[in-house]
Amino acid sequence: MRRLLILPLLFGILSADSGILDIKWPKPNAKHLKPSTPYPKVLTEGIKDVRLPVYIPNSYAYIKNMVVIADKNFYTISFPFKGATVTISGDRTYQESVSNKQEFKAILKAIPPVTFQQEEGIMTAEFNRHGVNYSMEIECDKPQRDKRCTDTKLIKELYSRLIMVGGHP
Amino acid sequence: MRTLLIIPFILFFSACTQEQPKPNKPLTEEEKKFTFSPAGQLVPAKSGQGRNGDNYIYAPGIRFPIESAPAYLNSQVYGIGGLYGARGSLCNEKNYQYPWHDNYCEKRRWGMPLCSGGKGHQGVDIRTATCEKNKYYAVAVEDGIITYIGKYTVKLRGKSGRTYRYLHLDSPSVLVKKGEKVNRGDRLGLVSNNMGSTKTSIHLHFDIKETIKINGKSTKVYVPPYTSLVDAYKRLLRGNP
Repeated sequence: MRRLLILPLLFGILSADSGILDIKWPKPNAKHLKPSTPYPKVLTEGIKDVRLPVYIPNSYAYIKNMVVIADKNFYTISFPFKGATVTISGDRTYQESVSNKQEFKAILKAIPPVTFQQEEGIMTAEFNRHGVNYSMEIECDKPQRDKRCTDTKLIKELYSRLIMVGGHP
Repeated sequence: MRTLLIIPFILFFSACTQEQPKPNKPLTEEEKKFTFSPAGQLVPAKSGQGRNGDNYIYAPGIRFPIESAPAYLNSQVYGIGGLYGARGSLCNEKNYQYPWHDNYCEKRRWGMPLCSGGKGHQGVDIRTATCEKNKYYAVAVEDGIITYIGKYTVKLRGKSGRTYRYLHLDSPSVLVKKGEKVNRGDRLGLVSNNMGSTKTSIHLHFDIKETIKINGKSTKVYVPPYTSLVDAYKRLLRGNP
C-alpha cells in the first residue's frame, strides 16, 4: 500500500541526468588483491582499467575460461558452471537522478541491501556495496529442473564468498 | 542607435533561416492500424496492477528491438493459449492484433520496486509479425557491447549505460559474441520460443535495466519499457527507426 502511495509522487521528478556514482572505497585486503597463487591473466588484464571495486566469488577467481568484459565504468565476468553460467557485474554509472528526497528514501528503504530471487528462470542476487550496484546471476540450461536455478542456496553461497580482486580509484 | 538598425536585419535573417515545416508524409497502412492502450493499463485487468499514468520515456531514442513491423506487444501468460489465458492456440490471430497492452507489471513472483505491490514482470513480451519461430530478427536498440550470451539470453550494455536483455532468441541463430561491439540496428538473433530445456511461446521478452541515483544513493532497477517502445515503434513505422 505504501508503494502505491509512493508511485504517483515518482512521476515527474525523474530526470535523465546521467553520470558517475561516488564510490566509498573499501580497505583493500592484500591477501585478496595479491594472492599467493596469481589470478589468471584473463582476469588481471580484463579488469586492469576498471575504476570500481571488482568482486568475484573466491574460488572462481582462478577459472581460466572466464570471460571478462569491462571498461573503466563497469565489468561483467562470466564463467561456465556445468550446465549453467554464472555472471557477476558491477556498474558505477547512473542514468536517471531524482532530487525529491522523501519519496525516494521510502523506495530505497523498501529495497533490501541484498535481494535473492528467481527471475525468468534466472537466479539473481542484487546488491549495493560502496555506493556501486552489483548483480550476480546463474542461468541454467534447464531452468525449471536445475536446483541451482530454483533454489537460492547456491546464489547465497556464492554471494557469501565474494572477494575484491581488483579495481582502482 | 546602431543597435536599432541591426534589429530588422536580425529579424529578416531569422525569418529566412527558419526551417519550413516539411509536408507530412501520409500515414502508411500499418501506422493507421497501430493502436496502443495507455502505459500501465494491463489487459486483462486480473493480470496485475500497472504503473498507470507513468508516461516517462526511460530509454529515449532507442530503436525498436525487432527489426521489422508489425509486432504485437501483449501478454503471453494471459493471452489466448497462455497459462492463465483463454483456451486456444498460442497462434490465435487475436494474439496478433493491435492494440498493444503494457505487461511490465504483470503478476510474477519476483520483486519489482517500481510496480505497485512490489512484484512484476520486469520487462514486456513482444510477438513478431506472425506465429513463426526463427523468422524475425531481434536487433540492437542502441550502440553498445554484448556483455552476456546465455542459453536463452543476450545482454547488451548500451553506450547510455542501460542494460537491455533479450530473452528467448534461438541459440544457434545468435550472430554476436560476448564482448562484441554492436551498432544500433545490428541483428542479434532470431526470435524464438527458447527457454533452455523448457519451451515458451514464440516471443521476445525485452527489458531495460538502469541505475537511478537518489540523493547520493542509488539502485539498479528494471524500468518500464512500454513508452520507450511505443515511441520506437512509431519511428519504425515512419521508416525512421
